[in-house]
Amino acid sequence: MSDTTSLVVSDGADAELSPESLPTVIGWASAAVAIHSVRRIPTPVLLRLDVVGYGSVAIDFRHHAFHWETPLERFPERPGAVLVETHPTTPDAPAPFDLPGRDLDGLLWLIGQHAFPTRAATWLWGDDRYRLRRWPNLAELPISLDQVRMTAMLGNAAATPAELAAAVGAPLPVAQGLINAYSLMGILRSAPAEAAPVARATSTPGLFGRIRKRLGWA
Amino acid sequence: MSEHVVLFAGPMGAGKTTAIQSLSEVPVVLTEAANSDRVTADKPTTTVALDYGVLTLGGDEQVRLYGIPGQRRFNFMWSLLKRRATGMVLLVHNDAPRPFDAMLEYLDEFGDLYRKGGIVIGVTRTDVSSRPLLPDYSEVLHQVHPDKTIPVFAVDPRDARSVGLALMVLVANLEMRAAFVRDPEAVPV
Amino acid sequence: MTAAHRDAAVIDAAASTLADLSGLSRSLRHVAVVTDDGFEVVRRPETAPADGRLASMASSIQALTDAVAYELQLGTAKSVIIASETGHVIQMRVPGHQLVMVALFDENETLGMALSMLRVAAERLAAVLDAGPVRSVA
Repeated sequence: MSDTTSLVVSDGADAELSPESLPTVIGWASAAVAIHSVRRIPTPVLLRLDVVGYGSVAIDFRHHAFHWETPLERFPERPGAVLVETHPTTPDAPAPFDLPGRDLDGLLWLIGQHAFPTRAATWLWGDDRYRLRRWPNLAELPISLDQVRMTAMLGNAAATPAELAAAVGAPLPVAQGLINAYSLMGILRSAPAEAAPVARATSTPGLFGRIRKRLGWA
Repeated sequence: MSEHVVLFAGPMGAGKTTAIQSLSEVPVVLTEAANSDRVTADKPTTTVALDYGVLTLGGDEQVRLYGIPGQRRFNFMWSLLKRRATGMVLLVHNDAPRPFDAMLEYLDEFGDLYRKGGIVIGVTRTDVSSRPLLPDYSEVLHQVHPDKTIPVFAVDPRDARSVGLALMVLVANLEMRAAFVRDPEAVPV
Repeated sequence: MTAAHRDAAVIDAAASTLADLSGLSRSLRHVAVVTDDGFEVVRRPETAPADGRLASMASSIQALTDAVAYELQLGTAKSVIIASETGHVIQMRVPGHQLVMVALFDENETLGMALSMLRVAAERLAAVLDAGPVRSVA
């Protein structure tokens, strides 16, 4: 096994070899910053998050997967502490857990939603407009239908969080949380030069709402 | 009567008939025949005309769910139905021999719907095959159609909620495209 | 089990039946035996375009017709008639088999005679297949 593939997934046990960087005792905010930073590094890096009381999360971006004994339904929104370790690896090195693992979209959505609950993520410029680069795997996200509409808007127009919120009639923090999460997931691109979106009337307004009502969804 | 026609398309074995059965409020009218081509899909029957299901929204408004046959020899049915369609849920099974090829072929075939934002892609059987990854579908789409961001996500055709979500995403995408895209080819929803 | 459109015994039986049928009426422009799921078993004349569309369309029409008959509790749909200015397309089930005979007659043949000829041909084919070594099921 390569020396760089030193991360071993366990239920709270230590990694076999020392991490490349010192662990940092923090909450989800700095874990999110670490994830965001690591994703921008051209060489592959494995991440381990020790969530106190909830075991270790191993993240392998090469496979878009993670391993965590804790089910996401029990995700701690305000953990006491999260220790972050980074482990450089190589493109062909084995994953630190059995593949396929779990879809990373689900985990990053939750971290992104809860890392900065009342504000923009620290790496985001407040007034920027954003567009979607790709849709997330909705099957993995506990996403509301307002958030679905916001996602559809981002797929078709550039918008700030305030413009998103206004377009669907949702609170600004919901829109900001969506932007934070999607940015962490790496599926947004900044579009600062695009003009503000202006909505035209559609010929069948409210179809979304009528189907929503028919299906009995909140 | 106000009708919104939603097609369920995709290669044989992707789960189109199952998806409509999951969502329809009435027993689905099926047009199945014994499947002679067990090499392409090892299933006993296959759709040869269309499956028909419905959701009534109230008053005279309905969403009609049409499952179209997956084999290209039935593409005259595709031509007939796409003229009436509001949008399409394209189901592709992740364990298909060449799922990207199937996806792109249908996007070409249903270009009018695609241009107005009327296609969502549901990847089925991700529990059977974990590869390709869903971001890989988006990457392939981006290379061929860089001007569009098409919804792609996992769908379980056996689960009414999963299929319902695909329908909601389709309508949301149609409405947002019509509202915000200055595209002469875009047709209002 | 071999699919019907690849089964030599089925192909031979169908070809023989269609040859007999073709000799009965000059108005018969085109006739084929197709599987329920739209594969062509055999056609006459053999020079007719082999793009498979007739087989697929016949399969769809048969399935839709069966669906209507089922919904209206009419039993099994035995035949379908498409009447146009220049002729009739008639589809006839081959009894007991997942096969359909589809024929195009021009306007010189009466509908009643066309139906009768096709019904007899379909029943004959069914009898040959029933008696033979291989049953034409998928």
